[in-house]
Amino acid sequence: MSQLLGIRGLRTTFPTRHGLVRAVDGIDLDVRPGECLGVVGESGSGKSVTFLSVLGLVRPPGKVEAEAITFQGRNLLSLAPTEIRAIRGRDIAVTMQDALTALNPAFTVETQIVETIEAHEPGIAKGEARARAIEMLRLVGIPDAERRLASYPHQFSGGMRQRVMVAIALACRPKLLIADEPTTALDVTIQSQVLDLIDDMRVRLGMSVVLITHDLGIVAERCDRVAVMYAGQVVETGPTAEVVAAPIHPYTRGLLRSMPSLAHLDEPLVPIDGTVPDPTRLSDGCRFLPRCPHAVEVCARPVGLRAVTAERAARCILAEVAR
Amino acid sequence: MSPLRLAERLLQLIPVLLGISVIVFAMMALTPGDPVQIMLGDSLADQAQRDSLRRDMGLDLPVVERFFRFLGNALTGNFGLSFFHRRPVMDVILERLPATIELTLVAMFIAIAVAVPLGVIAAVRRNSLLDRIATIGSMLGVSMPGFWFGILLILLFAVNLHLLPVSGRIGFGHEVKMVTGFVLIDTLMAGRLDSFLDALRHMLLPAVTLGLAMSALLMRVTRTSMLEALSQDYVTFAEAKGLSRVRVVGRHALKNALIPTVTVAAIETGSLLGGNMIIETVFGWPGLGRLVVEAIFSRNYPLVQAAVLIYATTYVLLNFLADLLYTVLNPKVRL
Repeated sequence: MSQLLGIRGLRTTFPTRHGLVRAVDGIDLDVRPGECLGVVGESGSGKSVTFLSVLGLVRPPGKVEAEAITFQGRNLLSLAPTEIRAIRGRDIAVTMQDALTALNPAFTVETQIVETIEAHEPGIAKGEARARAIEMLRLVGIPDAERRLASYPHQFSGGMRQRVMVAIALACRPKLLIADEPTTALDVTIQSQVLDLIDDMRVRLGMSVVLITHDLGIVAERCDRVAVMYAGQVVETGPTAEVVAAPIHPYTRGLLRSMPSLAHLDEPLVPIDGTVPDPTRLSDGCRFLPRCPHAVEVCARPVGLRAVTAERAARCILAEVAR
Repeated sequence: MSPLRLAERLLQLIPVLLGISVIVFAMMALTPGDPVQIMLGDSLADQAQRDSLRRDMGLDLPVVERFFRFLGNALTGNFGLSFFHRRPVMDVILERLPATIELTLVAMFIAIAVAVPLGVIAAVRRNSLLDRIATIGSMLGVSMPGFWFGILLILLFAVNLHLLPVSGRIGFGHEVKMVTGFVLIDTLMAGRLDSFLDALRHMLLPAVTLGLAMSALLMRVTRTSMLEALSQDYVTFAEAKGLSRVRVVGRHALKNALIPTVTVAAIETGSLLGGNMIIETVFGWPGLGRLVVEAIFSRNYPLVQAAVLIYATTYVLLNFLADLLYTVLNPKVRL
């Protein structure tokens, strides 16, 4: 099985006054070349932290440990800071939830694109970097690109600003784009435009995309495969179509049932009972246990991700039944 | 920013300055004591002579008319005669002002050169040994009286080590023709490198005393705003783009963090101009501050009045300058 990015046994912890927060707790995940992987979960489930950890962007006192994080065959954990910096932005790019806060208010769009290009291609001529910046803005559909280079982020509309951020992320033609909640901050009408743009860029540049979202609907529409996260762990992975059609983990089932569907407007939405566990007091057993309608005694014991088929896995005893 | 907007902003300063001049005039008008009595003192002038002087000074006119006369005169830089010097107040002040401005600018330079790098490093290496030392140092700097620190410096570097002069602006034999009034510039213009160095040596202790006191607060402000900036999404995004640490900290975070620093620096420079009377007295610095102290003791009202007006105007203009700088640092800010 070919993989672009492989994460094995990733653990990210943050010491706090109330105890150690295990934000990411033993994650295994693969991203394949050219695919769109959806990572779904509610706020605080560790989606964003997982990929910040991969890029070495977790700030102290946060601590990242992993058995291995391989990208194109290289173990990122063994790289020097300058080597991992060379990968950031050039091979693995990131877009953040809100372009208004992610773009620096004090610099023009030109500065913010050109500096990215210059960081990865030292010695590039100023004019050439500028030409590339214009090309990127055109590519993401910013009208009047050459003139807009001199604009500051606050002078763009929300949707256009998001496009600018995508243009910056893609300026060095990365192999992998991590799109962290790319539409959460946007109006519904703009959302699909931005998602279409990311899809289009994925095909054109032949890159892989990790789409981090809390919206299972977006994943169902756009992603080849999905990983569902809960309380710092992956609870279910598999091809999106299969997972949506026949979810195994009770949490995935709950998510699907709590999602409005145009086809079944007459069916009531069923929320998942209970709340997410306190991240400083996580049990060794199944973390969904207190909210699970199928819970039995063995669920209190540690449960690993169990393969269901070659492509599917779930962190639940029900996986045995499904197999 | 458009020139039109700039002009508009400048026009907005007029009511402020007008308000200041009302206060300054009222201060003089309400002060007990008769100026004529003060000027003539116990001399044997008779009532006719006193009345004539009062008419000459316009003191027999209604108060509102006196105010407008004062305002008109102030606009042309005419603040009357200094009681003590028997010369126009403005001439006396202009003689002393460059020394104070020069000292303030050098002190400000020292303050910024110390405070900004230290504040940035303290924020980046938060809770490190250096951060703690800088915190303690700035607490000392804020709480230590300037005159006491100045005297300590004089004792150490001038009296005990004989490295630097005790007081004054320039040593004997180093005097040059004053053109700009700024001794560091005038000595260079005269081609006297030895005099320039001597002037620098004279300036060092008072400038360091003022500068370090100012840098203490400035460093705290820079550290706090840097910590704030470093926690922003745009810093994470800049790092995710693969930029070097130096560029992320030194450009992306610092440019945003400098806004509060600029505000405080402008306010401190304003209060420095007005507040270095003590330091100028301690170091025998022939500036405006010392002049005003002498004027207060000799009840030289016209001079005090003019000085207060100059201090206030400078303060207002410095704040305007800080506002201008904001628009450079943060394009979102409009005047």
